[in-house]
Amino acid sequence: MSEVILEAVDIKFSYPDGTNALRKVNLEVKKGEKLAILGSNGAGKSTLFLHFNGIYRPDAGSIKYRGQDISYGKRALIELRKKVGIVFQDPDSQLFSASVWQDISFGPLNLGLGEEVVVDRVKQAMSDTETTDLQDKPTHLLSYGQKKRVSIAGVLAMEPEVIIFDEPTAWLDPRHGREFMELLEKLSQEGKTIIISTHDVDLAYSWSDRIAVMYSGELIASGEPGEVFLQPDIISRADLLLPWLLEMHRELVQKGWLPPSGPLPKTREDLFGSIAAKRERRLSVL
Amino acid sequence: MINIDTYAYSNRLKTVHPTEKFLFAMITLVVCLTSPALITPLSVLALMAAGIIIKAGIPGRFFVKLMLVPLSFLLLSVLTIAFSVSTSPAGFWLAQNIAGLTVGIRLPDLVTAVHLLIKSLGAVSCLYFLALTTPMTEIISVLSRMRTPVIITELMALIYRFIFVFMEMATTIRRAQSSRLGYVSTKSSFRSMSGLFSALFGKVFLKSRELFDTMEARGYTGEIKVLAKKYPVNLKNYLVLTALEIPLILLNLLGR
Repeated sequence: MSEVILEAVDIKFSYPDGTNALRKVNLEVKKGEKLAILGSNGAGKSTLFLHFNGIYRPDAGSIKYRGQDISYGKRALIELRKKVGIVFQDPDSQLFSASVWQDISFGPLNLGLGEEVVVDRVKQAMSDTETTDLQDKPTHLLSYGQKKRVSIAGVLAMEPEVIIFDEPTAWLDPRHGREFMELLEKLSQEGKTIIISTHDVDLAYSWSDRIAVMYSGELIASGEPGEVFLQPDIISRADLLLPWLLEMHRELVQKGWLPPSGPLPKTREDLFGSIAAKRERRLSVL
Repeated sequence: MINIDTYAYSNRLKTVHPTEKFLFAMITLVVCLTSPALITPLSVLALMAAGIIIKAGIPGRFFVKLMLVPLSFLLLSVLTIAFSVSTSPAGFWLAQNIAGLTVGIRLPDLVTAVHLLIKSLGAVSCLYFLALTTPMTEIISVLSRMRTPVIITELMALIYRFIFVFMEMATTIRRAQSSRLGYVSTKSSFRSMSGLFSALFGKVFLKSRELFDTMEARGYTGEIKVLAKKYPVNLKNYLVLTALEIPLILLNLLGR
C-alpha cells in the first residue's frame, strides 16, 4: 500500500448562493496513482479540485497533504501550489497572457525560481506538450487544442507532484485526445500523481488505477475500475454508462463465447485477444 | 485593428529586439513632432513607409488604408484651423462674403494647417511602425523594463488578452442571435444588441473570477511576474538608428 499524498476529510462546502456543492466528501489520493473522478455536470468535481490546492476553503473538514492539514497562510499556500497543480477545463480562463512564452513562465516565476531555471523549465514544458513551435504565437491565434496544451505546459513548468486535470479531453479531437493520454502516461511513469475528472467512462476505465464516483456533492463509490463498474446501482445513480469493454465482455460471457471466471479486459487488445478465432475453437472441441 | 495585430506577429522585423524598434519609433516620433518645417515630417513619413513596406514586408495597400483611417479626423480638425470668419475682409487669401461676414482662408493659417496635417500623419506613421512590427506583449515588456508603473503594464497585458476572449464571445453570441433571426429588423436588432451586451457583461464578471482562481492556482500573489522573451541585441540596428536620426535632428535644428 503506497502512501497517501492528498486527502480530503469530511469536506463540506457551499457556494455563497447556497448551493451545497460538497457534502462530506472523503477521498484519499495515493502517491503515484492514476485516479479518475467520474460524475455528471454539477456533481462537485471541480469544486473538490479547487479545494486540493487551497483556492477554496472548506466550510467543514480539512484537506491533508502528506498527512498534514494544509494551512491557508500565504507561504504555506505557495508551498502547496508548488506541489499540487491544476489544469483548468477552459484554457481561455487559464491563459491570462497573450504570449505563450510569458504565460508558461508565470507559474515557475511565482515559485521564486531564478530566471535561468525558469527558462529551462519553460522549454522543457513546451517540448513535453509539443508547444515549442507555438511560443512566438499569440494565444488568441491558437486553436482550442493548442490553447489546451499551452495551459497544460503552464502547470507542468511548475513541476508539481500531483497534477489535477479538470475535464482534460473534453473538446479535444481524437488525435489530440490520444496524444494527451500519452502525455499522461509519460507523466505517470515519471512518478507524478495524476487526477482527472471526466464523463468518459471508457477512458476512465482503461486509464485509471482507481475510480471515484461523485454524485450531487457526494462521493458515492471508489475503488478499482472493475470493482466500481460492476456495481450497477452506483453507475445508474451517477447517470453514468458502462464502458463498452465491460458491456461487450458481459455480452460475450452471457452468450458463452468467454468463460465467466476470466479476468475483466482492461484494454481493447485484452478483449480481442481473449476471443478465440472460429477455426481454432472447432479444433479444440474435437 | 485585428489585422494590425496579426501583422505584428508575422512581419519580417519580428525577430528584431523590441527595444530597438520601440526606440526607433519613439525617437522619430519626438523628432517629427518638434519639427519646425515640412521637410522633417515628410522624411519621417517616407522613412516609416519604407520601414513598414520594404523592411517589415507589410503590403503597401494595407499601409495606405491604415493611413487613411486618421486622415478623416485630421482633415476635420485641420479645416477648422484653416478657415476663419471675420467682419473685415482684410488679410484673407481666399474668401467669400456672406451677409457682411467674410469666411475664408488666411495664408498663414493654411500653412499651419498643412504643416499640422503632415506632422500628424508623420507621427501616426511612427506609431503604425511600432504597432505593425512589434507584438503588444513585447511593447509591454519594453515599457516595464523602462520602469513604467506595474499597475499600468499589468492592466495593459490583461486588457489586451481579454479583448480577444470577449470579442470571440461576442461573435459567438451574435452569430447565435442572427441564426435565430435576431437582426432581421431594426427593432429586433436593438433588442438583440442589448441582450448581447448584458450577456457579455455577466460573462465578464464570471471570467474575471475564474481568471483569478486559475492565477491563484499557479501561485499568484498580487504581482504578475512573467519572463520576457530574449531577443539578440543588434549593434548594427543601433548604428542604423543613429544614422537615421541624426540627419532628421539636424534638419530640425537647421530649420529653426
